[in-house]
Amino acid sequence: MRPVNGERIILWTLPAAAVLWVAAFFLFPGFLPPMSPRSSADEVASFYRENTARVRYSMIVFNWFCVALIPILMLVVERMRGMAHRTPVLRYCMIGCAGAAPIAFLTASVFWLLAAFRPERAPELTQLYNDLAWITLTCGVPFLVAQSLFLAVAIHLDRQETPVFRTWIAHFNVAVAVALVPAGFAGLAHNGVFAWDGFLSFWVRNSAIALWIIVMSVVLARALPRDGAAAEATA
Amino acid sequence: MRPFARGENPKRELWLMWFAVLAFYQLYTVVFFVLTRTQPPGSPSYTAAEVPGWFASHHDGLLVGLALIFVLGGLSATSIALITYTIRRMSVSRAFAYSYLILYSVSAVPGFLFICVALTAGAMRPERDPRLQQWLYDLGFLSFSGTMGVFLVGSLVWMAAILLDRNRVFPKWFGYLNLCNAVTEVVVAPAWIFDRGVFAWNGLIAWWINVVVFGIYTGVFINLLRNVIIREDFGTGPLPDLPPRRARRHTAAAEVA
Repeated sequence: MRPVNGERIILWTLPAAAVLWVAAFFLFPGFLPPMSPRSSADEVASFYRENTARVRYSMIVFNWFCVALIPILMLVVERMRGMAHRTPVLRYCMIGCAGAAPIAFLTASVFWLLAAFRPERAPELTQLYNDLAWITLTCGVPFLVAQSLFLAVAIHLDRQETPVFRTWIAHFNVAVAVALVPAGFAGLAHNGVFAWDGFLSFWVRNSAIALWIIVMSVVLARALPRDGAAAEATA
Repeated sequence: MRPFARGENPKRELWLMWFAVLAFYQLYTVVFFVLTRTQPPGSPSYTAAEVPGWFASHHDGLLVGLALIFVLGGLSATSIALITYTIRRMSVSRAFAYSYLILYSVSAVPGFLFICVALTAGAMRPERDPRLQQWLYDLGFLSFSGTMGVFLVGSLVWMAAILLDRNRVFPKWFGYLNLCNAVTEVVVAPAWIFDRGVFAWNGLIAWWINVVVFGIYTGVFINLLRNVIIREDFGTGPLPDLPPRRARRHTAAAEVA
């Protein structure tokens, strides 16, 4: 019997995690439509008073699974071993980003849960937690941007007859990085496309992350068997 | 190692990292010293009534500068990756390299993400209750200056690796410079206690001396990393010496010819 190396199992955790992410997204009452940075402290406080339970459930789910992408990113890192690189530095960059990026999700979920923990507190304090949560989630893109760029560079430098990932995946990752950039500027605007509830900072950013997960999982699924065969050949 | 296409510089990945490191530290300096003017930091002795004034006078610079860090801060991974690579090139266990990688990846979050979030939240709502603005102000500066352990242990790990290394990847004196950097993380600890004087987060010891040491340390290691890349022979034994400057120019000229 062929030994199980477990990579397929890791890959199949992704749809499960994705379902939970989507569930948390729709369950959280402040995403559809996204809460406005223009709301007054009283409006924010009454939002948490009225939606306490849903904020808690959704953010507990998000807190559980926001780090679930790390094993998937490690699958990407393992595929990078097969690239025609001279050094492991780009893999190290990916590992560094994979460690740092989910902390933004994690911290944001903690602020949301804190906001909902004592909804009867002074409205200004609830607004403060709410601001911190939204800023952390929206602006916390540095490692997502960097991760996409490192992967793009790695694919670009993988010059061999059958590269691990095809060139369009590099271009796709650059596009995702570009789509995430406006969210970093969400602090500058209370209105319009850059605000944290705006078209670029909310819809484009989150769609880009969702699209990245979908595309990369398909691409990874295709890259796995070939490597499994290679591992067998070397065994 | 995989076969390598002819005519391609085998050090291209290392050089790419090195230039990204250079770009990152320049961005970092410009953002924190020029754009946001959070370095030198605001005073920890401001009363709650004074903090909104600080946010008002730094408003635009804070939001623009911190946004740049939100977008480009991930470049910091390049310096971590390159240093991890140099530790792997040493004769010491890979445990040192991986420790460094993880320690500094963790450090990114308290090291710059918290100050960015806290001061953005403060600058976004200048009308917020001054006591809450002060809360954000403290969170920003203390998370930035007071995140000590990762840098302390990280520097010590790098120091130990350098001092034990027989491949001469870094000069031994640089090992001791790591100790100086580690010491800055020790003497900054009283910033958690004092809000004025030499040990406060903007004080002579906790800020001025530390920032000078960190500046020298960073400048030195960026240069040394460059030398390591030049010296790298992709072997496992001692790293060759840096070729003399004249010879380097000579080889370059010969290559061009």
